[in-house]
Amino acid sequence: MKEIRYFIEYCLVRLILFLFDALPYRFACMIGIGAGTIYWWIDRKRQKVAVANILKSGVETDPKKARVIAKKAVHSMAILLVESLRSNEFLEGDKMYDHLTFDIQPDVMAALEDPDKGLIIASGHFGNWEVAGHYISRFKPVAGITRKMNNPRVEKLVKQRKSRYRFRPIPKHDSNTGRFLEILDEKEILALLFDQHAGSYGLMVPFFGHPAVTFKTVAMLHLVTRTPLCFASCKRVGPMKFELKSSNLIQVKRSGNKEEDLRNILTQLNRDLENVIREDPTQYLWAHRRWRDDD
Amino acid sequence: MSETSKEEIIIGQLRGILEESSVKDQDWDAFCAATTIEDIGLDSLTILDLLYDIEEVIGVHLEAKQVLKISTVGEIVSLLIAEGA
Repeated sequence: MKEIRYFIEYCLVRLILFLFDALPYRFACMIGIGAGTIYWWIDRKRQKVAVANILKSGVETDPKKARVIAKKAVHSMAILLVESLRSNEFLEGDKMYDHLTFDIQPDVMAALEDPDKGLIIASGHFGNWEVAGHYISRFKPVAGITRKMNNPRVEKLVKQRKSRYRFRPIPKHDSNTGRFLEILDEKEILALLFDQHAGSYGLMVPFFGHPAVTFKTVAMLHLVTRTPLCFASCKRVGPMKFELKSSNLIQVKRSGNKEEDLRNILTQLNRDLENVIREDPTQYLWAHRRWRDDD
Repeated sequence: MSETSKEEIIIGQLRGILEESSVKDQDWDAFCAATTIEDIGLDSLTILDLLYDIEEVIGVHLEAKQVLKISTVGEIVSLLIAEGA
């Protein structure tokens, strides 16, 4: 029974991919936005969370305008999906340079180009992080956490579409520190999105001025392994056009006070993320409950 | 200093580090070389915290990958002695 279900799902996904591949990009985006709008109206709970988060962050104080931002943010995530499905088409070979502009700091570029150095890239759910991963995989393999598809046929299909991209997916259930350390030991790039509620392995640091439990992992890996760390973002600046930006390498000298060191790094990362979000709040995933009442 | 007393000192230092950061109810008087990593509630994430503290308190930098392979406090102590503690 399961096999039949998997097969039907696989056929549906293939059909959707076929249609998306055949459609002009703008039309595919319009369909994505349409689907995003339907999702927006159905999931009222997320809608409320997103609007409340925008108001709390202070990027908008008018509830009506916050609602517009929240809705556009849903569209942005739908476009991200379309872009990801079509990414091989526009990121292949030198075509990539027609679609990307760069503002990568020289010390980060040096770390990317140094075969004897690994790099930890911290980023948030902003713009199109998949495009960023695709680009930096030109320097060395990039590993990041992904959610594995339940359907093995669909999982295989997705992997095939990304075969040219040196991305090493770490399934969420296997995302332990040992795996991260292996990646850094092999002098590869570990890219982690740190902007979700961290639960027990987090530290309370301000995000838009309000305490938020922030994942310590990137900061601890940096402090313990001395692997360089930076913040990076990939903002959409037009249809299939992106601006890839990095901070300088984050240099925190160990003070002997672990919590203080962590706080310094995570505060800086949250601040970098806030700055890119302020540039275009419609490209951020506001629907996640980063601030929780029970904290 | 004999190896045994060195081991005892390091076990005492490790106990101090872990006791301070532990959130788990633990019989710290029973803490010894045979205590397992699981007994003291360490997982792959909290081991990073331990490595930071070891470097600050004992002054030895351990490779995180090595530490992930160990299963008892005694093995950490041996690793530390081998690295010059």
